[in-house]
Amino acid sequence: MSELAQSTAFDIYATFQQFLQDDQISPPLAAILSLAEAIVKSNAGTMFELVQALNDGAEELKRRSKNPISLNAGCELFIAFVTLFPHESDNFAELKKELEQQGRTYAREAISFRDKIAELALGFIKDDAVILTHSYSRVVLKALLHAHKTKRISVYVTESRPRGLGLKTHEALTAAGIPCTVVLDSAVAYVMDRVDFVLVGSEAVVESGGLINYVGSNQMAIIAKAANKPFYALAESYKFHRLFPLSQYDLPTHNPNILSFPTPTARSAGHGDAPSSAIPDATTKGPVYPETSSSSTERAMSQEQIAKNPGVDYTRPDLISLVFSDVGILTPEGVSQYLVGMFAG
Amino acid sequence: MHPTRTKQERRELQERQRAAKAAKTAANGVNGKPQGGKPASQPAAAGGAPSRKAGRVSDAASKLPPAGLAKAVEKAKAGQSSAADQSAKNQARGLLIFSHFGLPKPVSSAKGDIHPVIARTALQFSAFKITGANARCIATLTAFKTVIQDYVTPPNNTLSRHLMTYLSPQISHLVAARPMSVTMGNAIRQLKLDISGSDIDLPEQDAKDALCRKIDTYIRERIIIADQVIQETAGNKIKDGDVILTYARSSVVEKVLLEAHASGRNFSVIVVDSRPMLEGKRLLAVLSDAGIHCTYVLLPALGSVISEVSTVLVGAHSIHTNGAVYSRAGTALVAMMAKRHSVPVVVCCETYKFSETVQLDSFTKNELAPLGDLFSSFPNTKPRESLTLENKPNLEILNPLYDLTPPTCITAVVTEVGVIPPNSISSIPVALGRLL
Repeated sequence: MSELAQSTAFDIYATFQQFLQDDQISPPLAAILSLAEAIVKSNAGTMFELVQALNDGAEELKRRSKNPISLNAGCELFIAFVTLFPHESDNFAELKKELEQQGRTYAREAISFRDKIAELALGFIKDDAVILTHSYSRVVLKALLHAHKTKRISVYVTESRPRGLGLKTHEALTAAGIPCTVVLDSAVAYVMDRVDFVLVGSEAVVESGGLINYVGSNQMAIIAKAANKPFYALAESYKFHRLFPLSQYDLPTHNPNILSFPTPTARSAGHGDAPSSAIPDATTKGPVYPETSSSSTERAMSQEQIAKNPGVDYTRPDLISLVFSDVGILTPEGVSQYLVGMFAG
Repeated sequence: MHPTRTKQERRELQERQRAAKAAKTAANGVNGKPQGGKPASQPAAAGGAPSRKAGRVSDAASKLPPAGLAKAVEKAKAGQSSAADQSAKNQARGLLIFSHFGLPKPVSSAKGDIHPVIARTALQFSAFKITGANARCIATLTAFKTVIQDYVTPPNNTLSRHLMTYLSPQISHLVAARPMSVTMGNAIRQLKLDISGSDIDLPEQDAKDALCRKIDTYIRERIIIADQVIQETAGNKIKDGDVILTYARSSVVEKVLLEAHASGRNFSVIVVDSRPMLEGKRLLAVLSDAGIHCTYVLLPALGSVISEVSTVLVGAHSIHTNGAVYSRAGTALVAMMAKRHSVPVVVCCETYKFSETVQLDSFTKNELAPLGDLFSSFPNTKPRESLTLENKPNLEILNPLYDLTPPTCITAVVTEVGVIPPNSISSIPVALGRLL
């Protein structure tokens, strides 16, 4: 089974990367498409072997990807689909072709999920609304552009350090003619009273009804709750995940290195080569501020310091007002009921 | 409303009426119904006078002049049953809170045809030798298996119709020992279904064997195997270096912790315990024997340790449709404290503990523990006699055994069908329906 994932003839991760190049395809969809490819390329003879192969492929993807949560959701969805697919046809090769076709069709349809969600969200966007959003999300972008056709909206978007994806959103919105301003991540509370509601995308929506999204979403949700502003999450149904994090530190992306403190006594600094080392050079040489391209009055975190910070965070369900999805507008409790219905057992 | 009486006069009137009633109760013990005074004192008390004699809870005061005579009769009866042992103690009044449960009765001699196994089980229940929802359910079902095997269908009758009527007094005897737990209720309901569904044409021994097999299957699937699934799922939530806090003794949590330790995870446990049952001592012994690093604190010390806790793991007596968890008294405190300190609270609970009812508080349904020295077989730090709970003049012992944890304090419920957020507990039957 493992020869499938590692054979030179078919590298699932490379295929995954290839699919990702299309900007419209998000990681879970790319995962589904790669797994669909894997089915055809696999030489499994029975359903059991096939599922085994798919599980191995999914493991490989998870291992090599930096942010495995959302693609995990896609993988699990597809593997559950394959397992439950009625297979009366005796010809296994035909079945594999069929499954691959289904995978591709799903991915194609899934692109249209964003339009459905945009349409659903339209009803909640009033004329002259001021919207706050976080970082870059294709589905939020689509919803905002769709609303812009018929209503007047203005948008605040957070810079979303360290990746700065909020600036990408800013470009796209400005190009479409929507008044848009970038706010500092630390200015979210400052701006919250001016805002009508908050709209964010998602990496995954989890079984508790909570949200996993780029770091900063949890903050935004807490501030929105304190300011009594609605917090809406947009998520396609293939992002619903059976994960149940009990807290931030229960996320699969959390490792002991995140937010760890450097050991105070200076020992041999030779350990500092590994990228995720807990002992930066700072302990022996004193704080080092790397040169940045900006003016000398601004400082920025070093790569090592950034590596100690999380990339995604978990927002609790009681902070989320509604989840907009292609299966409908759900409350966070409704998400769990949907998941139980889909993956019962 | 009687307009002319002052507060002082009203109070004196009530005291006189109360003394008269108490005297009457002690004297003949049957008809303590003060007719005339009651309606007059009703508006008076409703009007005010919140401060009564010392020692009364203030909302009990508003309950005291009852809406109708029925309550007076009930109190008189309660007074009557305790009159024998309490009249000597200055007409102590009986508990006002939870008085709707009645006082715990000693298990009387068996009425009618009680099978010896049932009698023994009932004694074990009432003496608190068998405690815990799972243990009681398994004991009940095991006893029923013996009863069913010993049962002989009377002539002109069928097993499927008569067996249930035969079992009913046995069940009542068990309930008289201790109120029925939700687990026992669900199991007995399933048993009734199986009995009424048993094939009429089957020879008696075969039918009985089939029923016993069904009982075994129920125990195995809904309890034993469910526990194994829960062990794994909840065990995955325990990471190296975690500090797990648990309360009293839940059989499921004990299994989860032992399993996680056996699979090599490195964690420590804080066992929180409370009087009078001190069930945590047994859990402490089991966990320490297995080599888990444990700390033992009593409930009042919870505030000092909660800041070090990573996860709270508790068991349940039952879970309800609104997501509330009914568990050993003290669990709600632990959950609320944990919530305050942002510590996740995980409830480990098999699906057969699910009750379709909605429960909003700990008052409408609860159980009072009997007085005396029933609990704690482990050595205490003080002599047993000084720790035994007994009523004294002007001192009533109130000992509810259960309390209700609201769904807002719970982070997740781990069942054998998956990890479920408390607000979606009502989707459990759906998930089960898919499986069965």
